[in-house]
Amino acid sequence: MDLETRIAAIATAAEQFPWLGDLSAPGIARWIGLELGQSLSSTQPLPYGKQNYLVRPLDPILHIVSSNTPHAALQSLIRGIVVGSTNWIKLPKEGLVEVNAFADALPTELRPELARTLPPAWIDEAEAVVIFGSDETVREISLRILPSQRFIVHGHKISLGLIRSECSPDLANRIADDLFVFDQLGCLSPQVLYVAGDSIEFAWRLAQHFEQTRPARIAAAPQHEIAGTLRAFHEEWKFRAATEPGVCFWESPGALAWAVVHDPSPARAPNPLYGTIFIKPIPADLRSAFLRVRRHIATVGVDPLDSESVEIAVRIGAQRVCAIGQMQNPSVTWHHDGQPTLANFVRYVDIEGPAEDWIAPRKTQAPEDSTAQ
Amino acid sequence: MTTTLEAEVLNFLSEPDPARFEELAVALFNYQRRENPVYAKYCEFLGTPDTLDSWQSIPAVPQIAFKRSAIRSFPASLTTTEFRTSGTTGEGHGKHFFPSLRLYEAAVQKGWDYFQLPRNRFVMFMQHPDEAPFSSLSSMGGILTGSDRSRFVICNNGEVEIDRFMALLGECPNPLTLFGTALAFLHLIELFPDLRIQLPEGSIAMETGGFKGSGRETSKRCLYGQISRQFGIGIDSIWNEYGMTELSSQFYSRNIGRSHHGPPWTRFLIVDPETNRVAAPGETGLIRMIDLGNLWSVIGIQTQDLAVEQPDGGFLLLGRDPAAVPRGCSRAMDELLQFARS
Repeated sequence: MDLETRIAAIATAAEQFPWLGDLSAPGIARWIGLELGQSLSSTQPLPYGKQNYLVRPLDPILHIVSSNTPHAALQSLIRGIVVGSTNWIKLPKEGLVEVNAFADALPTELRPELARTLPPAWIDEAEAVVIFGSDETVREISLRILPSQRFIVHGHKISLGLIRSECSPDLANRIADDLFVFDQLGCLSPQVLYVAGDSIEFAWRLAQHFEQTRPARIAAAPQHEIAGTLRAFHEEWKFRAATEPGVCFWESPGALAWAVVHDPSPARAPNPLYGTIFIKPIPADLRSAFLRVRRHIATVGVDPLDSESVEIAVRIGAQRVCAIGQMQNPSVTWHHDGQPTLANFVRYVDIEGPAEDWIAPRKTQAPEDSTAQ
Repeated sequence: MTTTLEAEVLNFLSEPDPARFEELAVALFNYQRRENPVYAKYCEFLGTPDTLDSWQSIPAVPQIAFKRSAIRSFPASLTTTEFRTSGTTGEGHGKHFFPSLRLYEAAVQKGWDYFQLPRNRFVMFMQHPDEAPFSSLSSMGGILTGSDRSRFVICNNGEVEIDRFMALLGECPNPLTLFGTALAFLHLIELFPDLRIQLPEGSIAMETGGFKGSGRETSKRCLYGQISRQFGIGIDSIWNEYGMTELSSQFYSRNIGRSHHGPPWTRFLIVDPETNRVAAPGETGLIRMIDLGNLWSVIGIQTQDLAVEQPDGGFLLLGRDPAAVPRGCSRAMDELLQFARS
């Protein structure tokens, strides 16, 4: 199937999934053009320095996806389809209904193969393996990867906010947009907001806003184990709020829908997610404060989105900077985890020497093709 | 520091009178709120009324409070004993302080007898209290054995002293009580998979701590099967002790899938984690303990362990599996809170 048909098929399938972003046919074409220029659509090698080159998909591609959000799984699949690969998807054991629905919306020849347990042959035969998961999962799979295979890891990340403004209702709404989507399990949702000025006042206003607007859960009530973890967290921070200076805690009345924690310490604290946000003062020494986590920072949401915020975000290690409220809505053209998304899925073939020596005359191909038929 | 209350609790442990539990629990709460500044702050934060009329209203501190603060209802200068949690999460140890172990010792001994657990010769799969002075489990072992060093078969490096263990088994034909952590039993079984011993009739095994936090009932079944085979005792002779450093009393269950029960100076509530209120009957929730033995710290402890209240008055422990919590790709910056008993 040619590129144009593939693009049209993706665009049609994506119509049911508006949260995937702009996946219209022109949008996809623009994305390809930005990252790969004409190389994907060109049938002839393109000039590049002293040589020429063409690109070919890594084929097949194995995508090992996690259960937290369908977003990442579908993005990876779409990238594979765009470059023209065969796609195999190892789903989490509980499945991902959105992936099945998207696959069903594709023409048969573009549909990925799906499995909830990993067929051993998939790892052996894949030219590229993409993995979303915990450090333990990544480590386990990495032991089975050969140096000749491309291994693309999207490990655990944290996202955070940098805020140099007051907690207006509009900003609180945008924070809620980032916080509550996918139960905060996506790596682009913030775990902590670093706030300039009176961070306690900010936290209080945010909690007031949550209490008044009572954001509903996206997903069903959490399982007992998760609820138990959340309750333990709430009770710990209530205790700390009662006994430690500067610590404040607010929670959804009579439920576990959200929690706002003000913690003056620059030290990191475990966040059980599911609508839990830490508010901390912006550390005086940014470099030291983020030294140990900078490799794990994904998105930094900022408010206001200005040069100072962007400079700070880049300095602490951000791989993506955006306005608060847009953290879970990366553009289709984003550099996922700081990497090219399509270029990672192709191999570049360099062809050296004068083009006239190796470009096969079309006339000589035609009779061969005819003979073959 | 009160000695009157201590005497009253000791009396209760000796002659439990259910009708007096509430009165005594509220008296201990009042004392602790008055003498324990950390607990007083916590009660104030929660808006706890000045007077309570039910043990069920007593605020329970989360277990982790013992890591964050000194939970002490007596002057620090009078501290004689300190038990510590294992501190596996890198957050330091939880500490439980005592000015005296009189109450603790009584809770251990009276609790053991309350459940009519046999006073057999003990074989302790744990370190002697002299070698693990901060371990509440070793202390319990010391209390039950009269600190008889010869009964402890775990050496300083955590290894089983197998020769001495075998010698103890062969000492005389009387029944034995093997007591240790589930992990110690497992370690022994893995080291000597072909070990087959027929313990004398009336012997029991008491395991503790192993499955808290794992939720692996099938593994527990497997462990009990192995203990049964290797030591020649029935599954019905294998017990679980559910305790924690932050408590002074212990809860016991026998066999697999049976309820845990506490002695009469304890109560528990199953709390719905979503609402933090008492769960409906038969619903899963977190265990909240009230232990009169905890005079010197706080009597109310909110655990992280899941359980279901049973019609027989006990609770069925479900454990808790942190690994089952899907964190997504959002990196957990530290391990979520886990508690293990040292």
